[in-house]
Amino acid sequence: MKTSVELTINGKTYQGDVEPRTLLSDFLRHHAGLKGTHVGCEHGVCGACTVIIDGKTARSCLAFAIQCEGHPIETVESLGTQDDLSPLQQGFWEKHGLQCGYCTSGMLMLATELLRENPTPTRDEIREAISGNLCRCTGYQTIIDSIEHAVTIQAGTAREAAE
Amino acid sequence: MNIKSKAKKSIPTSRQRELPGQDLKWIGKNMKRVEDPRLLVGEGEYADDIALANMLHAAVLGSPYAHAKIISIDVSKALALPGVHAVMTGEDVAKVTGVLPCFGSPPVEQRCVALGKVRHVGEPVAIVAADSRYIAEDAVGLIEVEYEPLPVVADLREAVHAKGDAVLHPERGDNNIALQRNFKFGEVDEDFANARKVIKRTLRWPRSGAQPLETCGAVADYNRGSGKFTVHANTSMYNYVGWLWAVSLNVPAHKLNIVPTMAGGSFGSKLFLHKVPIIAATLARATGRPVKYLEDRLENLSSCDHHGSDRYYECELALDADNNMTALKCDVIDDYGAYFQFGIGHHGNALSQITGPYKIRSVEANITAVLTNKCQQGAYRGFGSEVSNFVLERMVDAACDELDLDRVEFRRQNFIKKSEFPYFIPTGNLYDSGDYEAVIDKASQMLDLPGWRKKQAEARKEGRYIGIGLATCQERSVFSSTEFWSLNNVPGFTLTSSAEGVAVKIDALGKAVVKLQAPFWGNSPETMAAQILAEQLQLEPSDISVVYSDTDSGLSGTGPGGSRYTVMIAGALVGASKIIRDKMFLLAAHLLQSTPDKMELRDGQVMIKDTDQGMAIADIAMQAHFFRLSFPDEPEYDTGLDASYTYDHPLTTLPNDDRTDLGIFYPIMGHMCHMPVIEVDIETGRVTFLDYVAVHDCGTVVNPMTLAGHVRGGTAQGIGTTLYEQYDYDEEGQLRTGSYSEYLMPKAMEVPHDVRVGHVETPSPFTEYGIKGGGEGGRMGTPPALAGAIEDALRPLGVKIDALPVTPSRLRGLIREAQGVITRSVPGSRVP
Amino acid sequence: MKPSPFEYVRATSVADAVSTLASYGDRAKLLAGGQSLIPMMNFRMIAPEVLIDIANISDLAVIETGDREMRIGAGAKHCSVMASDSVRQHCPLLADAYSHVAYSTVRNRGTIGGNLCHHDPASEVPLVLALMGASLVLTGPSGTRTLPADTFFLGMMETAIAEDEILVRVDVPFQAKGEGWSFHEMSTRKGDYAIVCAGVRLQLKDGNFSHVRIGFNGAGTATKRMAQVEQALEGQPATDDTIAAAVKLAAELAEPSDDVQADVAYKRDLVRALGRRALVQARDRASN
Repeated sequence: MKTSVELTINGKTYQGDVEPRTLLSDFLRHHAGLKGTHVGCEHGVCGACTVIIDGKTARSCLAFAIQCEGHPIETVESLGTQDDLSPLQQGFWEKHGLQCGYCTSGMLMLATELLRENPTPTRDEIREAISGNLCRCTGYQTIIDSIEHAVTIQAGTAREAAE
Repeated sequence: MNIKSKAKKSIPTSRQRELPGQDLKWIGKNMKRVEDPRLLVGEGEYADDIALANMLHAAVLGSPYAHAKIISIDVSKALALPGVHAVMTGEDVAKVTGVLPCFGSPPVEQRCVALGKVRHVGEPVAIVAADSRYIAEDAVGLIEVEYEPLPVVADLREAVHAKGDAVLHPERGDNNIALQRNFKFGEVDEDFANARKVIKRTLRWPRSGAQPLETCGAVADYNRGSGKFTVHANTSMYNYVGWLWAVSLNVPAHKLNIVPTMAGGSFGSKLFLHKVPIIAATLARATGRPVKYLEDRLENLSSCDHHGSDRYYECELALDADNNMTALKCDVIDDYGAYFQFGIGHHGNALSQITGPYKIRSVEANITAVLTNKCQQGAYRGFGSEVSNFVLERMVDAACDELDLDRVEFRRQNFIKKSEFPYFIPTGNLYDSGDYEAVIDKASQMLDLPGWRKKQAEARKEGRYIGIGLATCQERSVFSSTEFWSLNNVPGFTLTSSAEGVAVKIDALGKAVVKLQAPFWGNSPETMAAQILAEQLQLEPSDISVVYSDTDSGLSGTGPGGSRYTVMIAGALVGASKIIRDKMFLLAAHLLQSTPDKMELRDGQVMIKDTDQGMAIADIAMQAHFFRLSFPDEPEYDTGLDASYTYDHPLTTLPNDDRTDLGIFYPIMGHMCHMPVIEVDIETGRVTFLDYVAVHDCGTVVNPMTLAGHVRGGTAQGIGTTLYEQYDYDEEGQLRTGSYSEYLMPKAMEVPHDVRVGHVETPSPFTEYGIKGGGEGGRMGTPPALAGAIEDALRPLGVKIDALPVTPSRLRGLIREAQGVITRSVPGSRVP
Repeated sequence: MKPSPFEYVRATSVADAVSTLASYGDRAKLLAGGQSLIPMMNFRMIAPEVLIDIANISDLAVIETGDREMRIGAGAKHCSVMASDSVRQHCPLLADAYSHVAYSTVRNRGTIGGNLCHHDPASEVPLVLALMGASLVLTGPSGTRTLPADTFFLGMMETAIAEDEILVRVDVPFQAKGEGWSFHEMSTRKGDYAIVCAGVRLQLKDGNFSHVRIGFNGAGTATKRMAQVEQALEGQPATDDTIAAAVKLAAELAEPSDDVQADVAYKRDLVRALGRRALVQARDRASN
């Protein structure tokens, strides 16, 4: 039985008539039209579907959309645009942090959570932060490089803003 | 190669137009990828992102049995479920859709939905189209099937002897042997008879698989008016063999248009899709509505049609009195699973570089391909030659072990020397160029091999087990289709080219649009095309757009795979650029009142050589598009500034009839040296990385940053293959590693903190700019290097690594066994 | 891999959850973090008709520091328990074991209560609670009761919770001053389900072991406290030889089974190796 579900995603309200069993990942992709979150395994192991709920990363294949009413969600679409990439996105671009791009949104959301809690992480802390997500293309090293580089970009932007 | 007894083989003339060693502006630079911005903001378009109006969703009922007759199927409850539009059994499908494509000859019949019997767990038994994937899965749960189980063949050695009801394809004969053939190259028997030492090993390489993060998927639309299918799919060979889907669907080839989507990784496993898109297309035609079929992860693991090689080797290596390796003999059984889509192409692939970087002069390969109740093999990064790399390097390490020789020096002694290229190996393939000593020297130097040997010795005194691994492996690139058919007993088709086409247009504003006949699957085709075209036409990469064609556009293209794409697209772009450049020179010469031979490209302009006089490309383009009457009335001045060009393989020759010479079929030969340093915790069997150096020689490098990405990504996959990954089937053909909770791949903690990548560039004399392929990367060399490192660490215990994966449990088992041997052989000894 | 259909009900309080659960009976399952439940539903291994969402009951997630124990609401997320300064100070074994539990993203949503009621045999927290002598507070239509950990945890995926009960709180006594403790785990990859875990608490008295608690996961059933091994250590000199003999005994007593990742012989080896490492580290941490 479908029911009306209203979610706050990236600060906007999205409404869909969906069954309670509709996974958050499917709601995002097919009802909210936000296709940047990807589905890799649907059993919570690969992390490709990682978004942020209530300010903390979560696997959207392990949540029902209806559960998330009243719990604000952030997805990759909130980070930046092609003309205005965020420091993290810029970092990934400059340090070759992606190849096929399928795990990238999940990695970006993990990195977003990390940098909010720890703005100057060590490489070990970065590695730990992404340690739950699979990437089959890069071998992870350039993802860590990218996040490290983003910190530098962010510091540079902050300096410019201050000047 | 010992050519004294043979006439010297001729090598076709090089068709290289762009020489290596030029001073280049774009090629060789770490340009940021063109593909990235849209991927970074979540605007990449993958198969599941395609949404057509009125689209239905498919789900598949997969067989729970590994081998069984289908007695009856009752779909009535499934059809009655609201939201279900079609339920089709194998019999329903067979009325409208034929068998799936197969390169094997004679072919092994496979259908997109099993007909009469099932041959592996997960094989489709019925397909459903419904309003949503959720409802489709509900419907699948309501389909009732009666099976009559048959004996299961799950062990490759037992498969050789299976008969009767255990035979998967009885119409082929009363056995499960898909192909058995002996290949001899050179004087093998003589070389073994004269050997001073013969090394023998039994080696086991079990199946693993690509595991792209995105599964295979297709969205098919059938237009009843025109009778034409349009299928969006994440496959790569869509131009090459896409028309085979049309054959299966019983329509003429022009009634099928295939539109590529981006692929979230492939590593070979999306090279040759057929079952997934044909299921979607069959349901689309049956329902009259577009149908999306996307494998879920369980379906991909059990039924993707692209499991990796699964081999059991008995090998012998002959050495002469001076420690030169002279001959190699391999008896190999390969478990192909239930079908045989590539024949033993994987062994053809291996035979392109079976002797590695060494001067081994004769080879015997006794190949038995068996069919078993498992998912069939397909393509996985290396396509079978990563296995022969493993086998050869293990034999080399074994020789060093038994003869107490230094692993570096022994390899150096046996290397083909730089001056000896181009070099024919016994199988008939050619190695175009190489400098293997430079690569091993660079790797040793980057690693500080003497330094690590010292640390290793000190660690041993402290009771720690540190190991240094070494593998020097070939990475052949740019496959020629010969490998797909040359080893069949009955030749069947005999493809002679796997071409790559490109269309380049300069628009009226002087911007370039490049149309590729191949998709994106995590390689960097747009970036490669932009860098190469920028170089060719002296444009800015930002003035170049790259788009992807569909099959209606008609150019030949094979797509990525076998580390071929960059070399082939370079050839195509050089060809197309020449046509465009010639025309620009012609038009400019007329407008500048000069002659074409005095024109050159400089900084986005066509200039008269040695002058400041010139015209911007943009201005020439405008003229070319709209100002025909400014030019002479000759056909070469006709309107337009574009070119299509199809580039055939730059260097292929045919095999001879008795297959004692396979011809030149994979000559663009890269090379790598991997040196991992690891530590083994002998109580838990855990392997930890202390250092890792990977030096690759892929000729002239277009983009060092993206090449390093393939090296590291491939290394991570190689680590997975060596330590973690296996499609583990039990005796009933049930897949014990059927989800990502059991099939384990490296995450960030399981790879070295720093895979230090080095580049050596020994250009090819045969490709544009001397580029060689590098996409298969580290996976070609990591397994033997890592296995060797573990052996090196455990040398005091005498542990040998002959089987993968070396999981903690298995490694601890080997250690325990070795400690038991030590304890038993030396009474009172203190077991470490 | 989509789940079967279900009705969704959101509970607003513990009392509401209890009465809703009673009204649906065995048709319903409780949904907290969903990190164990939802994968099973996506695999269609289970298909509850009703899900009662208890993740919005703020009372259920409170972490309180008592005089001698931590009182942790069953709805507290793993990340909150891990991050609690009080837990780190008073129950360091629990905080330390948490670093082995899955990955940060899973810990962000998974609850301690969900983990305990699911009782996966490889799960770290049930083992730790048994070693800590924790108590579990359950509430149902007939009232509230408290069970000690070793009564609550039964077999694989099985606990003593009744069908109509909800776990509301876990009370974890503070570790003793000067106590030594250690937690060691072996999994194929970091963050995977453990193959074998070893947990130890002990004190030193005049150079001898005392108040020894030792337990394992992956060593068979009922190994959360290995009484015979504890007895073999109790009152004995805190030497390497004592430790070696004790872990040898533990390996002999263990009854692990083969699975796709590891065989019996390996698990016994791990009991010995991890048991030894845990005892050595606990001894080092203890002060006389």
